[in-house]
Amino acid sequence: MNDDVISVKNLVKYFDGRCVLDGINLSIPKGCIYGLLGRNGAGKTTTIRILLGLEPVTRGQTFLLGAESMNLPAKVRGRIGTVAEGHNLIQHYRVRRLIKLCKDLSRQWNDAFFEHLIETFHLPTDRRVRELSVGMRAQLNLALAMATDPELLILDDPTLGLDTVARRQFLELAIEIIQKQGRTILFSSHILSDVERIADRVGILAAGKLVVDCPLEQLKQRVKKLRVIFDEPAPANLYLTEIINQQIDGREMVLTVANWNEQKQVLLETFKPSSCIDIPMSLEDIFIECTRPVGASVNRR
Amino acid sequence: MFTLIKREIQDHFLYLIGSVVLTAILIVALTTFAFHQDTRIDWDDLIAPIIPIAILIMLGFCAMGVSQMYADRNRRISAFVSTLPVTRTHILFARIATGIITILILLIPLIVTTAILIRWFEPPIPMYAGIIFDISLTAFLMMLACYCIGLLTGWNPSKVIPTFGALVLTCILVPLVIIKGFGWEIAMILSVFIAALLIRTWQTFTSASL
Repeated sequence: MNDDVISVKNLVKYFDGRCVLDGINLSIPKGCIYGLLGRNGAGKTTTIRILLGLEPVTRGQTFLLGAESMNLPAKVRGRIGTVAEGHNLIQHYRVRRLIKLCKDLSRQWNDAFFEHLIETFHLPTDRRVRELSVGMRAQLNLALAMATDPELLILDDPTLGLDTVARRQFLELAIEIIQKQGRTILFSSHILSDVERIADRVGILAAGKLVVDCPLEQLKQRVKKLRVIFDEPAPANLYLTEIINQQIDGREMVLTVANWNEQKQVLLETFKPSSCIDIPMSLEDIFIECTRPVGASVNRR
Repeated sequence: MFTLIKREIQDHFLYLIGSVVLTAILIVALTTFAFHQDTRIDWDDLIAPIIPIAILIMLGFCAMGVSQMYADRNRRISAFVSTLPVTRTHILFARIATGIITILILLIPLIVTTAILIRWFEPPIPMYAGIIFDISLTAFLMMLACYCIGLLTGWNPSKVIPTFGALVLTCILVPLVIIKGFGWEIAMILSVFIAALLIRTWQTFTSASL
């Protein structure tokens, strides 16, 4: 058994004959803050639900803290904190009752920290969960997840539906928690600035495949977007592997390549381009390039 | 486990209250009936009114099982609870324990009352010694079987299958007791039936998408 807190092996999931996850392999070591990115319907929530044992797999295996997701023992579950997409708390319960249920079922409960969170968020405990705003539900969900001092925190789009202030407050708390306690965190998000702010490793899901899985800094170095100009019309095929996107317009070619290295540089130079300009890419640019649908780019390979 | 059972009881307290009220009504009715008779009671006179009451109780327990599973699925209660340090097996076990507690709340006072009344008001033809045990066991297993039917059919997004599925299975079960009577044979059949229902429910519940 290795030190990976989360391990996903060849994960395949079909819904009604439609492939949602297609051979995902993922390993997240202890202490890592992993940002899972992807467009709507890319499979982020399904991956997280499978990891938590809420959804059965079609093929493959997933492990959390060394235990198989579908058969997570209660002891292991006690070491995991979860914030689900849409904050599916028990809606008809009063907040007080929900807190008591969580407290009674948890193996450890940090009362002081929980009270601090409740006061920070100004959460009313006498109202029913369904009467809370989306932001309040998100905050309550996070507070409940954090009160158990989890080793592993899984957050599925935790800032979805929050206004700017609530989102900032939420992220600041997340950063505070990360800095203080050095936990392993897996979180999915649409908001790239959030990911850029707290993740140290990212994965990008596109059409059910994990197209990117590397440290954030490495991602910016490894994905290159180049504007290449040739003396003659640009060649249709550069024989480069891992081309994410390629657009040709006469002598000009705009090329996005993953895992850029010296070998690829040498191969490109054999076509004797007259100029080769590196176009700087933000995380958002990389995300858009990686998740662009097949038909959306010209000559995509 | 106690917390989970407490949660189930609080969420379905109406069924428990129903059990208590029904037991009270039946005890009062039974005692009144006994005291209005002479010193010797023909207990066979009670069979006719008991059948519809028994069917009503069976359907009630069936409805309880359906209600627990249907509410869980629609309110996504287990989806939340199973992210806490409990397994799906714990959740289901707590649910079944709540069902059994409700059955016992209804049954135990009735058994005790009947046993006392039989001793006080001797029937015209002597009954065999184990009749109270046989009737109690069969009644318990019947109620449990109906409750398990409810659990199995209740885990369904449609309203039609839980309602009619449970009704059909209960209607099959009730004549079985009427035909076979009380005793170890029916107890065996019901035990196998309950075991099959519970295994299938456990399998469905632990492998379902929450």
